Amino acid sequence: MSAGAGPVIPNFGQGSSCVTGDHFFCWGWVKQHWGDTLGPALVQHMELTGIAVGIGFVLAAGLALLAHRLRRIEQPISVLSALVYTFPSFALFQLLVPFTGLTYTTTEIALVSYTLVILFPNISAGLDAVPAEVMEAGRGMGLTRRQLLARVEVPLALPAIIGGLRIAVVSTIAIATIAATIEPKGLGYPIFYAIALPTPFKTEIYSAGALTVALALACDAALVLLRRAVTPWSRARS
Amino acid sequence: MIFDAANAHTFLDALRFIGDNPGFLATKALEQLELSGAAIGLALAVALPLGIVLGHFHRGSGIAIGASIVGRALPSIFLIAAFLTVLGLGFENNMVALAVLGTGPVLTNTYLALDGVDRDAVEAARGMGLSGLQTLSRIELPLALPLIFAGLRISAVTVVATAPIAAYAGGGGLGDVIANQASYRLSGVLGASICVMALSAGVWAALLAFQEALTPRGIRAVRVHAATSNGKEIL
Amino acid sequence: MIRKHTRRAAKAAFAISLGVAIVLGGFAGAARSATHKAPTIVIGSKNFPEEDILGQLYTQALEAKGFTVSYKSEIGATEIIQTALTSGKINFYPEYTGVIVQDVFHHTSSPKTATATYALAKSLEAAKGFTLLKATPFYDTDVLAVTNATAKKYGLKTISDLRKVGAFKLGGFPECQTRNTCFVGYTKQYGLSKASFLSVGSVSPYAALDAGTVLAADVFSTDPPLSPPSKYTVLTDPKHITGFQNVAPIVSTKVARASGPTFTTTVNAVSAKLTLPAILAMNKAVEVDKQSAAAVAKTFLKANGLG
Repeated sequence: MSAGAGPVIPNFGQGSSCVTGDHFFCWGWVKQHWGDTLGPALVQHMELTGIAVGIGFVLAAGLALLAHRLRRIEQPISVLSALVYTFPSFALFQLLVPFTGLTYTTTEIALVSYTLVILFPNISAGLDAVPAEVMEAGRGMGLTRRQLLARVEVPLALPAIIGGLRIAVVSTIAIATIAATIEPKGLGYPIFYAIALPTPFKTEIYSAGALTVALALACDAALVLLRRAVTPWSRARS
Repeated sequence: MIFDAANAHTFLDALRFIGDNPGFLATKALEQLELSGAAIGLALAVALPLGIVLGHFHRGSGIAIGASIVGRALPSIFLIAAFLTVLGLGFENNMVALAVLGTGPVLTNTYLALDGVDRDAVEAARGMGLSGLQTLSRIELPLALPLIFAGLRISAVTVVATAPIAAYAGGGGLGDVIANQASYRLSGVLGASICVMALSAGVWAALLAFQEALTPRGIRAVRVHAATSNGKEIL
Repeated sequence: MIRKHTRRAAKAAFAISLGVAIVLGGFAGAARSATHKAPTIVIGSKNFPEEDILGQLYTQALEAKGFTVSYKSEIGATEIIQTALTSGKINFYPEYTGVIVQDVFHHTSSPKTATATYALAKSLEAAKGFTLLKATPFYDTDVLAVTNATAKKYGLKTISDLRKVGAFKLGGFPECQTRNTCFVGYTKQYGLSKASFLSVGSVSPYAALDAGTVLAADVFSTDPPLSPPSKYTVLTDPKHITGFQNVAPIVSTKVARASGPTFTTTVNAVSAKLTLPAILAMNKAVEVDKQSAAAVAKTFLKANGLG
């Protein structure tokens, strides 16, 4: 160990003139850093929202089926759902921190909550909207309660359910950007990082944001196709 | 143990925080209302005329309905950051970002409201010799008011409830407390969040009351149901 | 008949071999863990580029020596870091010595030298069960900056000159508002009674200065925008309220001991190489040339035989 020797300061590579000159958009940077910044962020984002929507859907469907049976709980849950819209979205993340820490768990609990709150009213409304005559006809044909649910109510509720899924997926993808205030994961992280630099880094902001919106719109389109596939009888527009 | 005794008192601590800092929270709330009000105003100025025109002429449904979908897909922090790069750090960049978020519900609902006005009523008005503009102002708009107001309420609550995030970009408001758990602790964050909820609920109630006052008595009997399933937006 | 015996024999042989392998493997594992029972080092860092670079440097250097490291970047303000340290969520954090003395332990004034600050910080942390490893040569203090135009307009050279301005906004990160090394110190010690604080949230204070949203902003002395030629003027701080701010890793004493002497020598070796020119070059690479902190840290460590 050489005592007192200063460090070797290597050449870290000059940023392109596009980047140092704060130009509007630098494709070069995007191509160079896709692998270490944008790509991983996109994958993390899909993972975050996938888990949230998956769990949220299961919980919402369960609650909705329960509420369908026990009409009593529908009202309080609906009131609760409405209240959540008045709640500042990123606050839920912050409030969970003292309990579950700066972890993935915190992020997922918050995201699942929002997904749940969007999906529950929609699934509930869908199940409730099945016309009484159709239920009568089904009962008349001798279908049991469970068969009625599976063969009549759920299929007829599908447009509303998928409609709710569209809203939930798109909203969750957008709100998952807030996850970056908890952990450096997801497409929100490049945005928060880029605004913290002495001169906000345009390219990183625009590319991360565009990816988020593109992801959301792509999922929305996919769900529209899904709805058309599973409900050929319905020409209703959501 | 996650829920220890200290955390169980959190809600009470939050109420105590509100009780201990009324002036401070009121100032922050006012800051937030100022920002939100400006944003909603801007959104209305753009979306209301556009929605009325598109709806009246029954055109551009794609834009009107697509606006809500895209609005929902736009992350608030992305909008704030994008306008930061263009407008610099200040009141304007946050205002415009929030206005973009508030445009969707107003545009979509206004369009649907005008587009969905009873065609017979319009026909009758035309038959009586009313011009297009007169039909619009005397027949269509009064009938469309409930749905337009519903859109306005949703937009307003969305903006007020989202405005705290502007604190990440120097926007002030109650978000300054919520984003700063280090200084204000959990009780402060929860207290400020409760204040935001109260603010949003208050705005909703105020707009509802305003709508009641404006609605002609004859129309109050005929309620057009707000399109809730695609009108509910959060972010 | 013969085939059955052969099959049984084969099965027995296989079972015995498997058993021997498991036993041997168990011994080997026990032997390995007996010699290398180092705990996982959980390194935390704050959410600004210089801290991220430091976090990456220590993480990668330790990993190169075979330690298990978990790096939790972007945690946030010092106060949250402190909670994380005391609750054990992280056990390693590169902190600024002056911040330890004045903001963590709330001393209202700073010691007179960098060495004294380090010594005081070390004893304060030791009392809480934390070891302060060697400090870096570089320091990074808070400084108050204005744009060159503003400096010219009001003739501003030192912080007390701001009294000439009347009412103005001072921008900084949220935690600056309540700190002795920041807003509280600036206003109290220099009599800036008309200054009001604007929290810039997560955005760089330079953006606020550029937009005119604030007149003065609390920034850091190693920020790339301050290196000449600079668009900004740093106001001098004769009362030294921002203290001495070398970086020294806070490590849980228990973890430091359990990790062995290699841990301490590795960390100190990295710290020794962090001179002011080195950190300025790395800051520039990340903030101006938009390289990733991880890549910059890797390059630096390799060049200095530590990666």
